[in-house]
Amino acid sequence: MTSSGPRSSQPIGFLTVCEHEAQGLFGGYLILNTAGRPLEFHCTAPVRPSRSQEILYGATLKAYLYGEQIGQALLEKAKTTPLVVFTDAEPVLSARDFTSLPLACVLPPPADSLAAGAGEPAGSLRLDEGRRRVPPPFGLRVHTFQVGSQRLAVLQDHEADAPIIVKHWEPLAAEFDLLEPFARIREAIDEARRSATRPS
Amino acid sequence: MSEIAARETSPATRAASLTPRWPSGPAPDGWPLLPPRADAPICRPSEPAGLSSEARPEITRVELDIPVMPFNTGWNAAIARPLKIAVERVAIEAEAPKILSVQFRRLPAKTFSFTFPEAPAWAFQRQPGKGDPRKPSADRPPPDRPAPKVTRIAPPQDVIKLQDRLYYVLQPSLESLVATNSLEFPFEPFPYQLEGIAFLYSRYTAILADEMGLGKTMQAISTIRLLLYAGEIRSVLLVCPKPLVTNWRREFLLWAPEVPLAIIEGERARREWQWRQPQTPVKIANYELLMRDRDVIVDPELHFDLVVLDEAQRIKNRSSTTSQVVRAISRSRNWALTGTPVENSSEDLVGIFDFLAHGYLSPAMKPRQMAKATRDYVLRRTKDMVLSDMPPKLFRDAELELTPEQWSTYQAAEDEGVLRLEGMGESITIQHVFELVLRLKQICNFDPVTGASSKLERLEADLEEVAASGQKAIVFSQWVQCLERLRKQLQRFGTLEYHGRIPSKQRDGVIERFRNDPQTHVILMSYGAGSVGLNLQFCRYVFLFDRWWNPAIEDQAINRAHRIGVAGSVTVTRMLTLGTIEERINQVLEEKRALFDQIFSQHEGPRQNVGLTQAEIFGLFKLRTPKGPLQAAA
Repeated sequence: MTSSGPRSSQPIGFLTVCEHEAQGLFGGYLILNTAGRPLEFHCTAPVRPSRSQEILYGATLKAYLYGEQIGQALLEKAKTTPLVVFTDAEPVLSARDFTSLPLACVLPPPADSLAAGAGEPAGSLRLDEGRRRVPPPFGLRVHTFQVGSQRLAVLQDHEADAPIIVKHWEPLAAEFDLLEPFARIREAIDEARRSATRPS
Repeated sequence: MSEIAARETSPATRAASLTPRWPSGPAPDGWPLLPPRADAPICRPSEPAGLSSEARPEITRVELDIPVMPFNTGWNAAIARPLKIAVERVAIEAEAPKILSVQFRRLPAKTFSFTFPEAPAWAFQRQPGKGDPRKPSADRPPPDRPAPKVTRIAPPQDVIKLQDRLYYVLQPSLESLVATNSLEFPFEPFPYQLEGIAFLYSRYTAILADEMGLGKTMQAISTIRLLLYAGEIRSVLLVCPKPLVTNWRREFLLWAPEVPLAIIEGERARREWQWRQPQTPVKIANYELLMRDRDVIVDPELHFDLVVLDEAQRIKNRSSTTSQVVRAISRSRNWALTGTPVENSSEDLVGIFDFLAHGYLSPAMKPRQMAKATRDYVLRRTKDMVLSDMPPKLFRDAELELTPEQWSTYQAAEDEGVLRLEGMGESITIQHVFELVLRLKQICNFDPVTGASSKLERLEADLEEVAASGQKAIVFSQWVQCLERLRKQLQRFGTLEYHGRIPSKQRDGVIERFRNDPQTHVILMSYGAGSVGLNLQFCRYVFLFDRWWNPAIEDQAINRAHRIGVAGSVTVTRMLTLGTIEERINQVLEEKRALFDQIFSQHEGPRQNVGLTQAEIFGLFKLRTPKGPLQAAA
């Protein structure tokens, strides 16, 4: 590898959790510069809840595992501080209670809102599109908003993150495919998993 | 006090009857009797108002004698009296319940961290005045449209360290680079070309062996560009045949116009300076120049991060000077580009790998072993694999009878030649046989005495049709004398020549004129000069006037026309004279095609004969002596 150069001043973070049937949950956190190149990558060992956790946490188990146990650990490990962190798994949003970084979930476009958003100019913002209560089992209350054609959600208790995210993300939206880095994280986790199981 | 409605009597009687009579004497249970009060009101039945005397009901008075015995309950005294509470203790013996406590302490998940160096900024300056035929931005796909396929840079198998593997895995997909305009291309790359770029990017050792016409040049240039942007390489040497230097410069201007490059040429002092100056990241040199500047190139202080050999089959002979010189270049990465990595035998591949990874292959390896060992380092695609919508190649073999004059000359030459070879006995060598083969092939083209040629007759007829339809054709031959003879006979078609005797400075002009002049319908090319690197996809007809020793060269020749950008199908006419040495050679060529497929196809196949062995060459004439089949001299 070449020698390192100056760090990017606008890093973006991507945090997700993958579920592997046999081994449990793997968390992955990727920090990219604005050219989309990797700066840091952190992943977790597999996490499996105990039976007592499954019973006693009940419907809040996923938010606890994704956010508090995995998300918080990964966010604390990074040396680079990104401007904003995105996730594609809604339970990860609960990690926002343990970090000061703006954290938003990338939502898939609902079928009925595709037509409504078709004519939306890029970079426009519709705040307060709706306050909705996330139905069980997550129990998270989120606030959704839109940046261009992309729907995002933040925790309702941290609604102030929305304009910060728009401010940092809007200039990059045309140059960045927001969902693509998550595919990289999944492949990297698979690679790390295979490396761990490869006979030495 | 209850009252009973009765018949009315006198008011006094009525009042008296309503007055309760208090009994005298003590009440039962000792309660004192209380006399009625004199001023106690007397309850009288209310008389309905408004009634007349006739309407008033009759009231009958009945004397009630209900004893009333009021008595003192003593409640007030009881209320005032303090409560008497008696406490009785009862011991209840029971087991204390077991308590199970579940502690929920936060146990953070174990993490693994990897840090990657960020690519240093590299601002390429576009060279002014250079063409930039980019598609307008309106034609580019919108960045939010998902790509149907994702091409990622995959780490090669020899990269073991997890951090290094993750570095490749975590790079952006090539489609996202294109879609988000991070990397601009003048034309949208084909999916298989992105795969080729992903293949080359992570490899320090690679052979890109795509069939001719699929864009090896574009893939190599684009990968070089990506590596330069990523800061992974800083100096590149590209070596190619001399006729292709201008082609490479043109392709760099098209696919990577911002990359500074230098063509090594000119006087020795200038070349020496060009070799050593570090500002230009990409240097292009031809194979012949490497020999002349050998002492500069093999200097250990001159190091290249990447050396790319175009038409790498040039170094298949490991003992050749060219091969020795390129192996001596100090480098970190090396790629070979060739559409024909195996021309005659699997040893050709050994020769190329001697440059890429010395000692990795050996001539003793069987083709299947070689295929397995090189699988991760060689990428080969053919047109039918990746360009399903490309117009087809239509083969039309012209099997011809020699003219009577040719046949007479041919028979005499063959009989005489075979006798002479047999007479040489054990001193016969391959060279002697080759000489006879070549002489007979020349007779198959033209009778040396009369100039008669059945091939020419057929060619003229076909070219009439080509010219009449406004199309253009390429005619290949391995002999320049043959091409010169053809030019004289085919002048009416505006025939041009492109072969070794044409000065190299004039060759580009010949191609341009052939491309643009509607009056030129035919270009005559030798296999050596015209079979590599030229783009003639505006030609719809290819004629192989005589056949080459191996099918790879023929394929190269055909693919000058049948390549990306061709407007329609390409008709290939392979001329072959029946009952002659040409027919016997053709059979051997078919076997060589099977060898190539065995090494580079993805499916296992039956073992085939390898190459044109000495025995096969001798077998062309079935040379025998009284002692048995003739063998070559040791």
